[in-house]
Amino acid sequence: MRAAVIRTEGLTRRFGDLVAVEDLSFAVGQGEVVALLGPNGAGKTTTVRMLACLIAPTSGRAWVAGREIREAPDEIRAIVGILTETPGLYRRLSAWQNLRFFAELYGVRDADARIEEYLRLFGLWGRRREPVATLSKGMRQKLALARALLHEPQVLLLDEPTAGLDPESARSVREFIAELRGEGRAILLCTHNLPEAERLCDRIVLLRTRLIAAGTAGELKRRLFGTRVVVELANPRPGLEDALRLPGIGPAELAGGKLYVGVEDPRRDNPRLIKRLVELGAEIVSVREEETTLEDVYHELMGGADAQD
Amino acid sequence: MRRIRAVLRREWAEAMRIKMVLFSVCFFPLFMTGFAAYLVWQGRALPPQGQAVLLNTALIYFLVLPVVIPLSIAAYSIVGEKEQGTLEPLLATPIRDWELFLGKSMAPVIPGLILSWAAFGLFLLASRLILGEIPRGVLSLPWFLSIFALAPFLALFAVFVTMIVSSRTSDTRAAYQFSSLAVLPALIPLIVYSARLTAVNLAFVGIEAGILLPLNALALYIAVRLFRREEILTRWR
Repeated sequence: MRAAVIRTEGLTRRFGDLVAVEDLSFAVGQGEVVALLGPNGAGKTTTVRMLACLIAPTSGRAWVAGREIREAPDEIRAIVGILTETPGLYRRLSAWQNLRFFAELYGVRDADARIEEYLRLFGLWGRRREPVATLSKGMRQKLALARALLHEPQVLLLDEPTAGLDPESARSVREFIAELRGEGRAILLCTHNLPEAERLCDRIVLLRTRLIAAGTAGELKRRLFGTRVVVELANPRPGLEDALRLPGIGPAELAGGKLYVGVEDPRRDNPRLIKRLVELGAEIVSVREEETTLEDVYHELMGGADAQD
Repeated sequence: MRRIRAVLRREWAEAMRIKMVLFSVCFFPLFMTGFAAYLVWQGRALPPQGQAVLLNTALIYFLVLPVVIPLSIAAYSIVGEKEQGTLEPLLATPIRDWELFLGKSMAPVIPGLILSWAAFGLFLLASRLILGEIPRGVLSLPWFLSIFALAPFLALFAVFVTMIVSSRTSDTRAAYQFSSLAVLPALIPLIVYSARLTAVNLAFVGIEAGILLPLNALALYIAVRLFRREEILTRWR
């Protein structure tokens, strides 16, 4: 893994008797986008707030860019950009005034030039003098993103960055996040949009107060569902699935003219499987890997967590 | 200082766009000045001693102004942040708790004092024009101490109380109404002078300061305890 810019170890936060986050350990590397997934109340916002040094952990530790969150909160806040669940903009002030205020708080040099750059980048330059209240929801979200980026943070904590955006704007925001990854920033993304997480994120952290699972989308799928190969046959015949007993292959299931076969290692096992099928007289039309989505993984794992709760 | 200045500028820029705040800030000083000047005009035929009593009573209004003006700004200052959901991004910046607290406290106090003193000056000018001269004994040291030394403490007390109340409500009107209790210390001299229980003297200014300073210290202590990042994000409603 790349050098960790965000790292947590046993991070726990309690509010009285309520445990919001328990024993959470994960890392986000430089130039990496990690999705923090979980249902409402899973502890995503509490985790982000701890990493942004807004609230302190009850126990456990976390480091952001090498600084411990309890030891250097002011330094961490200066290098973290945060996009909160709601844009949180001063509605009576203009887009320019909003950014100017935050630029001063972050001590941004050449603030006016930087503000202009971001307003132009997000297509808000023409509306810069209008009160934020008059901007569309998408424009406000973009403005909030511009605010999070204004001080060129090393670390970005983004809570639902595309929520409420039209498909075109959502796409441009996703592309922009991918560009930020390319610049080497560490990005932690909280989202309920699973296809977005799968498309955009290098790794996934599934959270439900405790860590449920972590890994790349592919790893999680393989860990949970293994790999299944779908073989379409011209001459499906019952009993064929029972004849496929080879090491690393199986179980197999015949349904609707297709043979579904579990394989441990596709590179090693697929050629052996096809060879065996041909030996058994099967006429193969096509072979492909069965597709599972992050959504399948999510529901499987969260369902499991439900059962444990 | 940079961050405190930024908070002050933003608070004022926003306050100037809120009709209720703008009305309070503009209307009260003008109304108080006009009303006090009207009292003096009514008593212009009185002998100098009677005029002095009238001016003493009228001057009391200028102790209420440093409380009333900051109240309207401060009531919106915290509740407005809650309404707009701006507290979290604001607290995620490197601004320190004390810088934010100072910025938020001073934003209502500074215009409150400037406008109160400007209104006071305007009133003296009007009185001078109406009466030809200010009766002797009116502009005494105790009076100047009341206006220039006690007024800042009255204004600060109003702001601290509003901050405490605002942390427990998300409604500007409720914050304003409950915070109006902060006007009580400013009413003590009004009641005392109006009832002519004592003249405006150093002893009374001292007593008033003796009441105000511990009240301010207590309100400041509570407000500072409430004004911590974590407290704001997790406990404020």
